[in-house]
Amino acid sequence: MKALVAIKLTYDVNQIKFDKEGNPILDSCPKVMGEADKCAVEEAVRLKERAGAEVTAVTIGSSKEHYRILRDAYAMGVDKAVIVKAENSEKLDALTIARILASLNQRLGPFDVIFVGSGASDTHSSVIGPMLASLLGYKLLANSDKISFEDGKFKVVSTLEDGQYRMEASPPVVITVTSEANEPRIPTIKDILRSKKKPIEEISPSDLGIETREVTLRNLTRYVVPRKRIKIDATENVEEAVEKLLKMLEEEGVI
Amino acid sequence: MVSALAYAEEISWAKQLASLSKLFGDIALVTPLSDNAEEASKYYKKVYVVKTKTFEPISVGKAIENIVSKEGAKILIFPCTNKGRMLAGILSGKLGAIPVTDVINVSSSGEKFIMTKLTFGGNAKVDVEVEPPFTLCISAGALKEAETRGEAGEIEELEAPEPQIEVSFEPRKAEGVSPEKAEVVVGAGRGIKKKEDLDMIKELAKLLGGAWSVTRPLAADYGWADSWIGISGLMISPKLYIAVGISGQPHHMMGVRGSKVIVAINNDESAPIFEESDYGVVGDLYKVVPVLIKKLKERRGR
Ligand SMILES: Cc1cc2nc3c(=O)[nH]c(=O)nc-3n(C[C@H](O)[C@H](O)[C@H](O)COP(=O)(O)OP(=O)(O)OC[C@H]3O[C@@H](n4cnc5c(N)ncnc54)[C@H](O)[C@@H]3O)c2cc1C
Ligand SMILES: Nc1ncnc2c1ncn2[C@@H]1O[C@H](COP(=O)(O)O)[C@@H](O)[C@H]1O
Repeated sequence: MKALVAIKLTYDVNQIKFDKEGNPILDSCPKVMGEADKCAVEEAVRLKERAGAEVTAVTIGSSKEHYRILRDAYAMGVDKAVIVKAENSEKLDALTIARILASLNQRLGPFDVIFVGSGASDTHSSVIGPMLASLLGYKLLANSDKISFEDGKFKVVSTLEDGQYRMEASPPVVITVTSEANEPRIPTIKDILRSKKKPIEEISPSDLGIETREVTLRNLTRYVVPRKRIKIDATENVEEAVEKLLKMLEEEGVI
Repeated sequence: MVSALAYAEEISWAKQLASLSKLFGDIALVTPLSDNAEEASKYYKKVYVVKTKTFEPISVGKAIENIVSKEGAKILIFPCTNKGRMLAGILSGKLGAIPVTDVINVSSSGEKFIMTKLTFGGNAKVDVEVEPPFTLCISAGALKEAETRGEAGEIEELEAPEPQIEVSFEPRKAEGVSPEKAEVVVGAGRGIKKKEDLDMIKELAKLLGGAWSVTRPLAADYGWADSWIGISGLMISPKLYIAVGISGQPHHMMGVRGSKVIVAINNDESAPIFEESDYGVVGDLYKVVPVLIKKLKERRGR
């Protein structure tokens, strides 16, 4: 069995700072492998341990940090790492990303299973996995909170807005993994040292026959919904504070 | 022929998405629920009821694709929910259309459309310029419900293709009103120490005639609830949202920004939620909530 896992270099959204004009200060914002992507790598590596899958990790991008997250994936136990060296990968539209991932199927696959994050921590469009499944004509197990592989079938549990879905599919399949799916392993120092010597295969989008397309992005600014931000101190006199709150909510006409 | 297709399961989403006909021209609705078809037909040129046993995105996607080729639509509109994102992805792949998600505003400029979308976990917004074909997922609370059209649209029923995978479905347990429909929602976060303590959250919600929900860790990690509010869960836009013991991380806040008034109860004065609240009560929720309940009861008693 062959497995592919796609990982994205994401901004740590809890650490983004903005300047006075509301422009994000991105240079100093730490970048990491997305939380859900880590869980996707963990699932792929478990499949290797339990069912002998050969696991390839891929990222699209060209910075030093992109190489770093591939090394992180190596340290977690993947067999092979590939970088698709697209410039400005942050500006590529989601369709181009999905097309690049799909084209790897011919070059390095075909893969029986492709794991992606259910949503990247920063963009969180959650469309890459479904798009990939439809481009390849694969089955789709999306938003998977629990994943197992039994009797040649992937079984997942997925929580959507109206309830819980239990789904089963045989390969080939795209599985999108949520950050609740598992506890990603923490590599040992030995694993980390070993990962530094592993090869990273470089492919360019044009090698894959993909013409990269950038989207026009304008006016990237902080988003805040204006709020009154009235603080009520309830550390000492709770009764008084709650009375004050209720009066204000009555004036607003919301209770 | 229509210029756009919209997909909605809930009637309120159907009414909101219909308002985009001002920009896009005639829209046809695709919905799995025949119950809503007649009401929805007042807002759309045409309504397709796609019947399925359970939701399976690839087969529903196939049904929508068939309608797209019949209607020649180049714009596909979805609610920015988990299902909406899945379908938008599937159809973008099929049609070679760029997907734009988390859209909070749409405007046009010549042939092009400008989507304002949220990014960086909802901390920032950015304008994206696209030309048809594209798919878009609209954030909760971004659009007002449309007016009805002059004449009701035609309703057509279709069967979705059989799914290629096995799916079983267990609906969310309906404890009272659902958070997406309620005018008041009380949300509980990790400030709540034990499952039993959710009882006071439920009681508060009930007294306010509203619904309760939680942040993701309470549902997904602790299993105290079967759904949560936020970018990967429910997107709500009530009149009043009361966040109890919630820190205000962007992934959660993205689900509640459409609320008219936000109240936070948190004992950490510097919790980020206070930046995004109209009324921030600094204090121990275990002291504040009981008093709130007591005072509301007194008021109701009067
Ligand atoms: C890709 C991705 C998607 C995600 N999607 C979602 C989502 O859809 N929804 C969601 O909710 N989360 C989501 N998360 C998780 C999110 O980032 C946060 O981890 C989560 O929202 C935090 O929940 P919390 O506020 O309950 O907990 P915490 O951040 O731990 O906050 C608890 C708060 O309670 C306060 N507190 C503690 N004790 C008391 C007391 N006695 N009285 C008053 N206050 C008290 C503390 O001061 C603290 O501010 C997502 C994460 C990722 C990576
Ligand atoms: N640049 C990229 N390189 C590799 N994988 C990606 C990239 N962008 C997105 N993905 C994958 O697609 C998933 C969903 O991303 P998104 O649809 O942006 O939320 C991520 O969790 C990754 O698994």
